[in-house]
Amino acid sequence: MNKWDYAESIESSSIVNIQKKYGIFIDGKFQSSNSKKSLKTISPSTEEVLSTISLGNKNDINDAVQSAKEGLKIWSKLSGTQRAKYLFKLARLIQERSREFAVLESLDGGKPIKESRDFDLPQVAANFFYFAGWADKLNLSWNTNGMKPYGVVGQIIPWNFPLLMLSWKVAPALATGNVVILKPAESTPLTALLFAELCEEVGLPPGVFNLVTGDGTTGAALVQHPEISKIAFTGSTGVGKYIQKETADRDIGLTLELGGKAANIVFNDAAIDQAVEGVVNGIFFNQGHVCCAGSRLVLQEDIHDQFVSKLEKRMQSLRVGNPLDKNTDIGAINSKEQLDKISELVNNGVDEGGSIFQTECELPQNGFWFKPTLFTNAQPSYRIAREEIFGPVLTTLTFRTPEEAIEISNNTEYGLSAGIWTEKGSKILWTADRLQAGVIWANTFNKFDPASPFGGYKESGFGREGGRHGLLSYLKVQS
Amino acid sequence: MNEIKKTYKNYVGGKYIRSESGKTFRIELKNDFYEVPLTSRKDIRDAVVAAKKGFTDWQKLTPYNKTQILYRLSEMLEGNFDTYQQILQDSGLTKAKAKEDIKNSLDSLIWYAGMADKWEQMTGNLNPVAGDFFNISHQESLGVVFTLNSSEHSLNNLLLNMLPALTTGCSVISFNEENSVLALKLAEDINNSDLPPGALNIMSGKFELIIDDVSNHVEITAMALYKKVTTEEKTLIRENASKSLKRVYITPPTIGLEALLPFIETKTVWHPKGR
Amino acid sequence: MSLTKESKNQLTWSNTVELIDNLRVDEVGLKERVASLSTRSIKKESKLQALNYIISMCDLTTLEGEDTEGKIGQMTAKAINPDPSNNEVPSVAAVCVYPSLVGKAKEMTKNSNVKVASVSSYFPSGQASIESKLLDTQFAIDQGADEIDIVINRKAFFEGDYRKMFDEIVALKQLCKSVHLKTILEVGELRTYENIKKASLISLAAGSDFIKTSTGKISNGSSREACYLMAKAVWDYKEATDFKAGIKVAGGIRDSKDAIRYLVIVNEELGSEWLNPDYFRFGASSLVDDVLKQIKKLKTNAYQSSYYFPRG
Repeated sequence: MNKWDYAESIESSSIVNIQKKYGIFIDGKFQSSNSKKSLKTISPSTEEVLSTISLGNKNDINDAVQSAKEGLKIWSKLSGTQRAKYLFKLARLIQERSREFAVLESLDGGKPIKESRDFDLPQVAANFFYFAGWADKLNLSWNTNGMKPYGVVGQIIPWNFPLLMLSWKVAPALATGNVVILKPAESTPLTALLFAELCEEVGLPPGVFNLVTGDGTTGAALVQHPEISKIAFTGSTGVGKYIQKETADRDIGLTLELGGKAANIVFNDAAIDQAVEGVVNGIFFNQGHVCCAGSRLVLQEDIHDQFVSKLEKRMQSLRVGNPLDKNTDIGAINSKEQLDKISELVNNGVDEGGSIFQTECELPQNGFWFKPTLFTNAQPSYRIAREEIFGPVLTTLTFRTPEEAIEISNNTEYGLSAGIWTEKGSKILWTADRLQAGVIWANTFNKFDPASPFGGYKESGFGREGGRHGLLSYLKVQS
Repeated sequence: MNEIKKTYKNYVGGKYIRSESGKTFRIELKNDFYEVPLTSRKDIRDAVVAAKKGFTDWQKLTPYNKTQILYRLSEMLEGNFDTYQQILQDSGLTKAKAKEDIKNSLDSLIWYAGMADKWEQMTGNLNPVAGDFFNISHQESLGVVFTLNSSEHSLNNLLLNMLPALTTGCSVISFNEENSVLALKLAEDINNSDLPPGALNIMSGKFELIIDDVSNHVEITAMALYKKVTTEEKTLIRENASKSLKRVYITPPTIGLEALLPFIETKTVWHPKGR
Repeated sequence: MSLTKESKNQLTWSNTVELIDNLRVDEVGLKERVASLSTRSIKKESKLQALNYIISMCDLTTLEGEDTEGKIGQMTAKAINPDPSNNEVPSVAAVCVYPSLVGKAKEMTKNSNVKVASVSSYFPSGQASIESKLLDTQFAIDQGADEIDIVINRKAFFEGDYRKMFDEIVALKQLCKSVHLKTILEVGELRTYENIKKASLISLAAGSDFIKTSTGKISNGSSREACYLMAKAVWDYKEATDFKAGIKVAGGIRDSKDAIRYLVIVNEELGSEWLNPDYFRFGASSLVDDVLKQIKKLKTNAYQSSYYFPRG
């Protein structure tokens, strides 16, 4: 019996031009940071060093804020149409250099080129297009009395969708008339740095977009700066709580998009094969490094064995490997740190009594890798069922009645997203009404659109990004 | 006068065609004269066929796609800034006014491009009905719309007579009289913009010759008369329209959400919520 | 599911009814999965392997009113030796013809491994009495057909008489005995995924060795979505009965790129056990030429023209 193996089909990285060293982007141009310190950014699939970036300090943040204040003076005098034109131009440039950005994202962060090319980059362009179109018609967005932009906005983004998170933050902020200081994640700064180049190319007025790279200390300095009017943060719940506490003594705007432990509920009257696809997509997309990942499979008991059998078979066809191979489905884990976290929780899951299934695949020698993993025979009390793993690990819990499915799904401090799989329309609506989650996907999962508001309940954060409702994150009511 | 004489033709179904009647009428501009098609009743009937296909194809595109196409149209227009400026000046505008008009038209186009994927969020909503029901109202495009464009020599006005219906997803038969040279020139940029053939059709002629056929044509779902018409014409149109409940709009607004409202139909869907 | 079997691969009607109880398919989700499988990038040695698979899995087909013995002669020669300039290219799996040409086809392929498949049962419409269909099929078998491709009774299907549809296939299979039976669903007429799933399962339960997408005679032929859905049905049937059925896709597969995408679906949804002519076929005519061109391009690095390959 022959086997048909797919030969490597590597996307060339010659399209990217990574500099050896990067400064910070302030006053509309790249300049050296005040800090003498720097960081290395590596490719998590090979551990090779890609570049050296600045470790921004308090002075850099202050310079960025002053630059932003100057930028605000210019930006606030422009009409909405003029702001729209800059954003449309940026959208176009991103489209034109999509392949370059996608390769860079996969190199720096570890995600498969198939995803950065087919999901991340098209969404990034779409976000800029969508918000460009709000800039000149904000008066039509909400029937409220005179909302105005905050002014100088500090934005901190994570490493799982670096450029996409940048677009979710920067596009609406600029469209609504704010100016931005962006602090990208420590391990994934490169696409943000390339984006800064585009801002220079389109002639964005200096100070409207500022970029300071660094680590947690850089982010803290940004949060602590007294002249920031608003903070928008996407990252872990732990850091989100720190930011809420840290800014308690100031009257500033705050939106937080934090962690999740989403339930993917599969009823016995679901379209089973498509539900399997949705569950697989829900947890293995982007190696499970997704805040809204469907990390708990909440499965109706009477279809448990049939479903799990199909799920394991489907998981086995997932290809783990070189992110630049076009046939790779699962890329590298973003960092050693994250890999250790995942391993610890998975080992704990086995210790607590869960049954583990992992796909058979060869993992590369260098880099950070984890096999797609499924736990069955897990209980709601296990750590793997309660804590956010942020990796390619799915935990199965069973239910018998719809009410139980709701109870189990809501039994968490998180409330970002949820999935509902059933072919019965009224059950979808009944269930959606009762789930405490900001985004609910029925018979689908991981669907995003700039027009669709995204954000969480409970400790998954507050505020929404995207859509008409997302504008409220960047406009404040006149008091 | 140029060495090579430019012929302007109707733009229907993505093609440039003469009137099947073979007739034209003359438009005199400062530097030259042009014989433009005198659209006949049969031309209108053919245009409706094309517009119906255009409607189907334009509908299929996502709102995001529509935004990109309208934005691309602005790219085309900006590239032909000088040509439009010349036509406007030949039509009697000063250089400064011509430039201002084109700049305004680009801003209008940008506004509408960014409206294509927004207007549904401004007009649709969930209805808080009593009972265990999910109830949503959302809007769909009417279909084939006939617009009688104002004769003002203004690119901005011309676009503002075409874009409201087009942006809501309708297909448009845009009818022009004294400003036909400008309109038929615009057709060339429309052709380069990725708009599906038949979504926007641009024709020239005298409205009085086709007023009956247009107002009687059952497959034209709405008429938007941006140009002023006489009371007799209004009455005739409305009487004919009543035979098929055609929607008739006399000088509707051209900018703002109110400009789009005439071209949409509200659909309300109910669904129970239960286990 | 513990099912009573009437014969090696046929279920009772009541078990069939159980089998078709769960037909739920989400169209959007299915299309997304198929689209995702289409992004597989098949290059270099894996592409050459695929191209050779495709040739070996082709049923070279001619089903025209104007077919003659002369035409069959040309086609069978091509079937046996598709590219005379390259003896690494395998023969195709079979030729597929109307019953009246089976005799000639059998004569021309007797010294080769190429099988002769015949359509029957009032192909392509199936609008006739069961007696006529049995006669039609018997004639083809008597002429020496190795394989029979029948059409399901869509009239019965759309009238809701699934029992009739089932019984017809059972009767035709009984006639075929060891002659290999392929059952054509005509997915272009069935349209919805639920219909395709239902027709697939009924056809399998009635004893089909293969289920086939299309007759190739209507404008909506095969689709990758239909193939995926049929693969799912074949897998579920195997899990329930241990019987491995095959799939044939026909109608509208014109180039190698498309054919390779079908192979990806079979490879990832069913597994490499299905990647051989015993379990997967392409019903094709112009496809073979495109594959030959691609094979030659891989060897010579130059794009080819069809006049380098013999007419069939």
